[in-house]
Amino acid sequence: MSLDLLKRLGLFVVLCVVQILVLNHIHLFNMAIPLLYIYFGITFHRNYPKWAILLWCFALGLAIDVFSNTPGLAAGSMTLIGAIQPYLLELFVPRDSIEDLNVSIKSLGFGKFTTLSAILILIFCLAFFALEAFTFYNWLNWLICAVSSAVLTLLLILAIESVRTR
Amino acid sequence: MHNLLDFLQKYHHWFLFVLLEVISGVMLFRYNSYQGSVWLSSANRVAGQFYEMESGVTSFFSLTRTNEELTLRNFYLERQVDQLRRLYTDITKDTTVEERNQLQFLSQYKLIPAKVVSNSINKPDNLMTINKGKADGVEVDMGVACGNGVVGIVYLVSDHYSVVIPALNANSSRISCAIRNRDYFGYLHWTGGDPTIAFVEDIPRHAHFKKGEWVVTSGYSSIFPSGVLVGQIEKVFNSSDGLSYKLQVRLSTDFSCLRDVVVVSDKTISERVKLIEAARDSIRLKGN
Repeated sequence: MSLDLLKRLGLFVVLCVVQILVLNHIHLFNMAIPLLYIYFGITFHRNYPKWAILLWCFALGLAIDVFSNTPGLAAGSMTLIGAIQPYLLELFVPRDSIEDLNVSIKSLGFGKFTTLSAILILIFCLAFFALEAFTFYNWLNWLICAVSSAVLTLLLILAIESVRTR
Repeated sequence: MHNLLDFLQKYHHWFLFVLLEVISGVMLFRYNSYQGSVWLSSANRVAGQFYEMESGVTSFFSLTRTNEELTLRNFYLERQVDQLRRLYTDITKDTTVEERNQLQFLSQYKLIPAKVVSNSINKPDNLMTINKGKADGVEVDMGVACGNGVVGIVYLVSDHYSVVIPALNANSSRISCAIRNRDYFGYLHWTGGDPTIAFVEDIPRHAHFKKGEWVVTSGYSSIFPSGVLVGQIEKVFNSSDGLSYKLQVRLSTDFSCLRDVVVVSDKTISERVKLIEAARDSIRLKGN
């Protein structure tokens, strides 16, 4: 349990640093931003306490917000992901799997993992950019930003996941 | 009551979810005007230090460029200081006309920043390569200086690189220089060995100067404008024939860690060369 906690904490810090130092500076075609920290929200194993998922996600979102001067933006979207993730995961786990099944390409299979990630990322990006664009609403721009960022993030996460499982 | 507690127990994470979303919502709507919160923005101490570290690292990578700009700037300012000093001393003597000519003279020079790509200081005939060539406007016999002082003279030019004979070349380097504010002039000569020490020869015996005074380029040649630093007088010797002084000078340029230099390009150099050739021709004609 405490090892798991340490691993979570490590992932938390690494994702924060990478996002703040590198990925926040990337604006592909002036719209797509890789939001890698969703990876943190996707990888909670099966039957992880739901309140813990919510708190973790909120904390990570808040940390990102503090560094990118957008208080509440990533925190709100990440909390949403934290709420959806356990329910969505139940739809994807194979019937006869263990109680604390890890979420990875190895345990779920490539197709299922990709679909799960894609849905979560898309929800996150839609929420994130909707909140961000709240004041200057331009739905086409919002959609392009959200979808392109989602695609970019998904590619990044798949790349990292395939390296990790190897 | 029991039912209510059960209900709360069962769905407590949904309450947490709503609570957290409300918190984010409040933050989003209350603090997102940029000056709102000191604690939840990069103005707080941890985030600030973090970003300071980041900028420390990133600025390291832009140092080369900054250096280059500073070298150029330094060179300009040094020239300006020299001009102003001369202006001041001359104004007290009330001869400003010459100064105006001098300033006009300065505007003839164009500066080309360059980087040293290879350099040696341990041989008697040192050569230096810089990364600017014909394509950048560098020509043979242009002067090369750095922020701290004189470097050398362009010797060979290819399209994108040039070979410079630095002051640290015992056989080929002779740079005309003078003692600052005294105007006695001689030429800079390096005899090998210590790359921080060179000699100024041919200073007339009637010259008055002190140890510790600065030697600068004289501006009599068209290679360097006047007033580029050369070094500081350390010792005074008699020349071998006894007709002049030989000054030991501590060079102001540190050749061992030279990186950014400036090629001094004189726009009127071709005109001068033509004039000198014409003069030679006419002398030859007279001789015939």
